[in-house]
Amino acid sequence: MTTLLEVSGVSVTFDGFRAINNLSIQIAEPELRAVIGPNGAGKTTFMDIVTGKTKPDEGRVIFGEKSVSLLGMSESQIAQAGIGRKFQKPTVFEAQTVRENIAMALKNTRGPFDVLFGRRADNREERIREVSDEIGLTDVLDQPSGALSHGQKQWLEIGMLLAQDPRLLLVDEPAAGMTPAEREHTTNLLMRAAKTRAVVVVEHDMEFVRRLNCKVTVLHEGAVLAEGSLDHVTKNQDVIDVYLGR
Amino acid sequence: MRKSFIAQNPSVLWFLAGLAIFTLGVTFMSEAAGVDMISTSFLKTLGKTLCLCLVAIAMDVVWGYCGILSLGHFAFFGIGGYAIGMWLMYARTEGIVATSLDSAALPPTPQEITDAIGSQIFGVVGSSDFPALWAFSHSLPLQLLAVVLAPGLLALVFGWLAFRSRVTGVYLSILTQAMTLALSLYFFQNDTGLRGNNGLSGLQNIPGLEARGQAVVSLWFFWASALALGMGYVLFAYVVSGKFGSVIRAIRDNEARVRFLGYHVEHYKLFIFTLTAMVAGVAGALYYPQAGIINPAEIAPIASIYLAVWVAIGGRGRLYGAVIGAALVSLMSSWFTGGSAPNINLGFYEIKWTDWWLVLLGVSFVLVTLYFPKGVGGIFDALVRKTAVERQGDYGPDKGAWRNDEGKPS
Repeated sequence: MTTLLEVSGVSVTFDGFRAINNLSIQIAEPELRAVIGPNGAGKTTFMDIVTGKTKPDEGRVIFGEKSVSLLGMSESQIAQAGIGRKFQKPTVFEAQTVRENIAMALKNTRGPFDVLFGRRADNREERIREVSDEIGLTDVLDQPSGALSHGQKQWLEIGMLLAQDPRLLLVDEPAAGMTPAEREHTTNLLMRAAKTRAVVVVEHDMEFVRRLNCKVTVLHEGAVLAEGSLDHVTKNQDVIDVYLGR
Repeated sequence: MRKSFIAQNPSVLWFLAGLAIFTLGVTFMSEAAGVDMISTSFLKTLGKTLCLCLVAIAMDVVWGYCGILSLGHFAFFGIGGYAIGMWLMYARTEGIVATSLDSAALPPTPQEITDAIGSQIFGVVGSSDFPALWAFSHSLPLQLLAVVLAPGLLALVFGWLAFRSRVTGVYLSILTQAMTLALSLYFFQNDTGLRGNNGLSGLQNIPGLEARGQAVVSLWFFWASALALGMGYVLFAYVVSGKFGSVIRAIRDNEARVRFLGYHVEHYKLFIFTLTAMVAGVAGALYYPQAGIINPAEIAPIASIYLAVWVAIGGRGRLYGAVIGAALVSLMSSWFTGGSAPNINLGFYEIKWTDWWLVLLGVSFVLVTLYFPKGVGGIFDALVRKTAVERQGDYGPDKGAWRNDEGKPS
């Protein structure tokens, strides 16, 4: 296990409100990590910082063996470096088919000229099929993804994330709106993915986190409150006070 | 697994076939063929309409597919027209000057010829020197290059500045409109060296082809316009199909998400903006020799707004829609404003279409936007394509997922 992502001393202020306050987190590769915390604890802002959507006021965000700073990079450069993100609300391209959605996400060259003139990879269809089998959408590959149900869109988005083949997956509430059976499948999928790469899951649902059976980081008011196994953090008095107690 | 380009885009074949039949039909009915069912002036109108269709599909790609509501593409069209117009004026004036100087006692020096051309062209704005802009006007190949490169470079620089700052939506539209207005005002100035508000004229007289007569030359331009439209259609059909099309439509629908997939959104926008500007320049270069005159009013912002209206009425996001919209509206516009449309006498008030055409156009734009967001081209959807998928069966992909009879998933 080597450290893949290192966030240290990061602070962000939105109009005077301190969303992230001197936050430091380290993620190893491979690792599965759950991030929990009450609303407004800074979970999503943390993801925004790592993926380049929000620029922090201070602090360092370092990625990979070469210790590249992510702060000077654009969103697309960060994504190309190997960080994939799933949003809380499923955001798939509804006007396009499931196949097109996955094809766009497949790891490949991303420049306009490559995409316009580049030949398709020979195993492209195979890879699309692999992903669609994994997420159970093979039957609807040629349907517009707008016609999918909420749960299926969640799946498609997870599938797009897998197709990107990132080193670090940031997953925001993957189980929202899913049934128990779907949740179980999601858990298995994330745990399997975490065998070869780093996966960070932001989740509200404690049952879901318990099933992930991994190290947990509790955020509160933009800083780390506690870190460790789920049992360890749930015994922590601070955590009980701010989160579990209410 | 991979379907051929034509199989993916059945509209290309239909469009090319239709265009070929139309071109042949018009050719056999034209004055040049000796039938005289289509007058030369109407032939020019048809040829011009084809050029407008070409710039409309460029607009459709940049707006309907990539989501950039550019109000500057008619400026690129105009620049293309100016670029070819400069050569046309220079070469024709050179011919006239050479003839008149031939009768002089002494043979003219090259400097005398240049001066005479200069005073012929720029006399109208009280000048006789060639401005720097005209440096290449003596050379047809260089001016033809300028037809593509001048709009392309302008679009590249402007687009790079605008997209890099992540200006989007209505703000970008305003910015492109400001560019168009600035450009048109710049062209209006006499100092610019493009003959101010007189513009360039006499463009219908092609040097070297005077003996052919307008009937034949117009037909040639008609063919060239049809060819350019056909090629433009195939080009853009290729660009918007496949994965590239997938990416630009995704940019239109959710730019931020495309960034998180690792695509440099700005590069894609810049590519599309520049490519469509270059095609617009080509369309303009074919249009203005048929129109005969170009002046800065042609590139005023209103022209680019009309372009957006055509595409909206024809149907955004489908290439044939843009063609239908441009052809329909511009032909109707020349019919209504040309005085051919019969006035309607209401007894107390007579509706003169020359005055009321704009109102009619405005009302139909509003109606199309409200009730037929897919535009006229949307009719083909109902005829050809299957209607939107109606989702049947279960909500979730798995056992234990919500079923239809349980109602919507929470």
